[in-house]
Amino acid sequence: MTRNTRRGVMKKAMGAALATVMGVALLSGCSGSASNEEAASGSASTGGERVTLKVEVFDRGNSPSPHTITNNWLTQYVQKEFGDPNNIDVEFVPIQRSEETTKLNVLMASASDVPDIVFVYDSSVFFRYAQQGGLTDVGPLLEENGSNIKSYLGDDTLKFGQLEGTQFAIPGKRAITARYNSYIRQDWLDKLGMKAPTTTDELYETLKAFKEKDPGGVGSKVIPMGMALAPAQYEPLIYSFIKPVQEDRTYSQRYELPLHEGFKDAMQFLNKLYNEGLISQDFSLDEEREQLNKDFQNGLTGFMTEDVGQILYADGTLENLYKNLPDSKVVALDAYTNDNADGKHIKSRYGTNGLYIMIPKSSKRSAEAVKYLDWMTSGDNLLTMSNGVEGENYDMVDGIPVIKEDAAQDVKDRVYNAGDMAIMANGKVIGDQEMNEKAWIAGFPKNNQQLMRESIDVANADTVGPIIFDRPIEAESKYGTALNDKLKIIIVQSAMAKPDQFEAVYEREMNDYMNIGGSALKEELEQALQAQN
Amino acid sequence: MSARTSNRIFDIVNITFVSLFVLFCLLPFVHMIAVSLSSNRAITSGEVTLFPVELNWSAYTQVFSDHSMLTSLGFTVILTLATTLLCMLFTIAAAYPLTKGNLKGRKFFMYLIVITMFFSGGIIPEYLLIRDLHMINTVWALILPGLVSPFNLIILITFFKNIPPSLEESAEIDGSSYMHTLLKIVLPLSLPVMATLALFYAVGRWNGFQDALMYINDPQIYPLQLKLFQMVQNNMVTELTQMEGANRTALTPEALKAATVIFATVPILLVYPWLQKYFVSGVMLGAVKG
Amino acid sequence: MTLTKATQATKTGDFGKRKSYIKRYWQLYALLSLPIAYFLIFRYGPMYGVQIAFKDFNLFQGINGSEWIGLEAFREVFAMNDFYITLRNTFMLNFLDLLVSFPAPIILAIMLYEIRNAWFKKISQTLLYIPHFISWVIIGGIVYQLFGTQSGMVNTVLQAMGMDAIPFLTDKNSWLITYLFTGVWQSAGWGTILYLAALTGVNRELFEAADVDGASRMKKIWHITLPSIKPTIITLLILNLGKMVSIGFDRPYIIGNTAVREYSDVLSTFVYRIGLEAGQYTLATVVGLFQAVVGLVFILGSNYISKKVTGDGIL
Repeated sequence: MTRNTRRGVMKKAMGAALATVMGVALLSGCSGSASNEEAASGSASTGGERVTLKVEVFDRGNSPSPHTITNNWLTQYVQKEFGDPNNIDVEFVPIQRSEETTKLNVLMASASDVPDIVFVYDSSVFFRYAQQGGLTDVGPLLEENGSNIKSYLGDDTLKFGQLEGTQFAIPGKRAITARYNSYIRQDWLDKLGMKAPTTTDELYETLKAFKEKDPGGVGSKVIPMGMALAPAQYEPLIYSFIKPVQEDRTYSQRYELPLHEGFKDAMQFLNKLYNEGLISQDFSLDEEREQLNKDFQNGLTGFMTEDVGQILYADGTLENLYKNLPDSKVVALDAYTNDNADGKHIKSRYGTNGLYIMIPKSSKRSAEAVKYLDWMTSGDNLLTMSNGVEGENYDMVDGIPVIKEDAAQDVKDRVYNAGDMAIMANGKVIGDQEMNEKAWIAGFPKNNQQLMRESIDVANADTVGPIIFDRPIEAESKYGTALNDKLKIIIVQSAMAKPDQFEAVYEREMNDYMNIGGSALKEELEQALQAQN
Repeated sequence: MSARTSNRIFDIVNITFVSLFVLFCLLPFVHMIAVSLSSNRAITSGEVTLFPVELNWSAYTQVFSDHSMLTSLGFTVILTLATTLLCMLFTIAAAYPLTKGNLKGRKFFMYLIVITMFFSGGIIPEYLLIRDLHMINTVWALILPGLVSPFNLIILITFFKNIPPSLEESAEIDGSSYMHTLLKIVLPLSLPVMATLALFYAVGRWNGFQDALMYINDPQIYPLQLKLFQMVQNNMVTELTQMEGANRTALTPEALKAATVIFATVPILLVYPWLQKYFVSGVMLGAVKG
Repeated sequence: MTLTKATQATKTGDFGKRKSYIKRYWQLYALLSLPIAYFLIFRYGPMYGVQIAFKDFNLFQGINGSEWIGLEAFREVFAMNDFYITLRNTFMLNFLDLLVSFPAPIILAIMLYEIRNAWFKKISQTLLYIPHFISWVIIGGIVYQLFGTQSGMVNTVLQAMGMDAIPFLTDKNSWLITYLFTGVWQSAGWGTILYLAALTGVNRELFEAADVDGASRMKKIWHITLPSIKPTIITLLILNLGKMVSIGFDRPYIIGNTAVREYSDVLSTFVYRIGLEAGQYTLATVVGLFQAVVGLVFILGSNYISKKVTGDGIL
């Protein structure tokens, strides 16, 4: 290129840039600082005119080609079965899974761009939106168009979406409330001639034996108990020491655990395990459970707790362990017992709710939104949205959809994001809890199904669920994030303290916990509890 | 010790040190390549370090057969080129006048720019602005908000200032206009720094995805890094995935993650060797003499 | 702006002078108008958002509709113990970075410059900047694999040689070193680029003259190479000083962990915790405003000092 032409190009480009900026400036002139502009929408009449319903969808970047998150088999199914008959265009608005609240906040603030149906898992976000007056009261709409929703959820689950008696959200329904399970290496026990531990004390003895006798022959690398800084590992341990606030219910938030009687005993026990080298020494680094699973599948770990099913997926931790060590054997067990609760196997269970599904106040399509959710819970729609087409994706066996493993990949891909589209259900909701469990088990590899059954049974024993208050606990939304962070610090510092320093470290961290909101939270929770009784 | 030997020792120490540093920089990349070519079992069992274990190419087959990946790559290349070009034009247009000490208002403009390095309106007003400009879901939302980086601008000003004033003065005496001086003298003398800043802008755009997260809803115009971010990050929200329970979709296999990282990184890595040709010593010197 | 200019010109009372001034400089103003328009629209346009710090911000009322609360949120933040701890840590980590990570690319750039083999030089430059392209999430994973106490590769080697494992990541003092060196590793190569660009301006004739005088390599570096990149170093130093109280989120968050929270908790993670994650925009904005004011003071202060001492500055 010669100098001259280069200059010419530059001039042209500058001209174009100038034009762009001028255009932008003109446009911005009319914007002002309008931050609460009314949602731009023509007439709100629904009679005959085709309208657009915007629905949020989580984008996890896992759309198989040629699908996209906004155009795939499921979106087409929704359009065909729900949209077209009702003269509605259903438009899906993708929100990145890991940044959902940030984006949702911004969309909510924009009013005009927010979808008509939005959802979160986090109750504090829901309560904040409701309290700030940003949500539509769906109570009357449910009366009008939501008969299927009401019978599907039942009053108990609907309650999760209420703020002081007003229905501001429609909760999704959780198929299964089973949460945590313990696994142990049966082959290690056999080698030592030991029985599976049935109490926390026996568990401790077993762990010591694992450490001293090294039945797996892995040498100094042996990890008697796999530990990570993740709820599935520390919650079962803590629950086996705390006294639940009510019979089978207790405060729902994780960071409220330190407010329970017996929490200190749990930390003391953890301290002992750590200092005697019975748990993963680097657990404080392992929030994603990568090391935990790596150690387990390499056969270094004797015992661990996990989310039910977590290690049983195809190509998962257990299958890899069996590949790495063909002679190993893993069984489910219920090892922890709780001396503060009559020696029961106290463990946490999920509430019966899933997502909080909300309709922003700025939405002009609230009636259509409820219609959509009602349609989803009617007929076979949930079944299809979760499983695909009968005979192609699954077969009905004893009323349970059994996924056809041999289906072609493109057939399987139809429901790749089923969990995120069938928002009214968390997991596969077929009927009652028992049916749901069977359906869930049927989705696991054949070889793991028996162990999955046992895992669920263990996870369902002596569970403690969340107490549901009909108004939000202010301190939760205010201090929740900070306290959650503090809980992790308490766990790590208590565990890693030298035994003779445990008291001092624990007191210091707990003091801090109380000061940054713990005492306010405690007071409010106790008041709410009294008000309820 | 003769000057020659001390020279030799200097060279040996120098080259050894640089080689070691290079090695450290390279190893993680080699590790990722190894991961991208290994089996899932070997990766999650921690067997992969610098060489693939149970070698297979399936991760790459998957990346390259994914049309949305390829479209996204094409889009990102064009986006990056366009952004870099516009950013450079604007930055040069700002930098040159601001090197003229006798320009009235120069100080005021400098403060105006420096303030924006520290104060910003925040995420919500910024979104509302983009919406009011009707740029949501358009490429403009990815280009215009970051048009001039004050940091890059200040660097360019520093370099412009270092051009010997005599060169410009001679042009000015010749009666040529400022525009002429800029295009004929200042820019040709500043090729190394311009190449550097272009690289900064290009890399910034290539690696950026936060804006797309906010402003783009159409998967057709997702930048590559957004897709990468989804893969790497979306699986990592432990607490949330736990609540999702059985709703959780299968995790992205590690090998696929690594292959995607490689796929998204190599193109931009290739830019620098190409830009190196502008890093020629003595441009300035030649001009002074000429 | 044109108005100010006009009044200034009228003050001088010389219409002809103004005319010739405009005639002389109009091209520069025309050039400047584009970027300034950009700054006004895209940077100053959303600036009204800073009022959030003085309001009880409600998402649905918008910024204008939310209630004024004066300095209440400032009082709340300044009463938080965590604010001071994270401020201290931010300052500490940035200061250590300034001592270690700031000079690293300068030294590396000079070393590269001193290499005579053009081929080796080119290849190493290109490879050195790879770490800049690896995201912190991935670096974090690699760091854990390398430096874990129980299963990290470095400690496995140390133990095989009969030494004690070093808690690189879980002991707060060792962690500081890990943090610093990860930073150097990640940014030093990338940081050289600017200095290499500056080094192209070195006058080669000076070297020839120095050779005649029999100066050593170190002497030449000290008296010729370094002075020629001094303006670049000063500019970057001033810009860095302006960032002393602001810190990126990813590096401390990902390289940090709960065991070393006492040091790794910084303002950005604090803001994330109290503000963005918990939806308390007001508190987040207060901290942001605090950082902005301090940053501005730092940059103007260091610019002032630099001008006094070296004659160079950025403004």
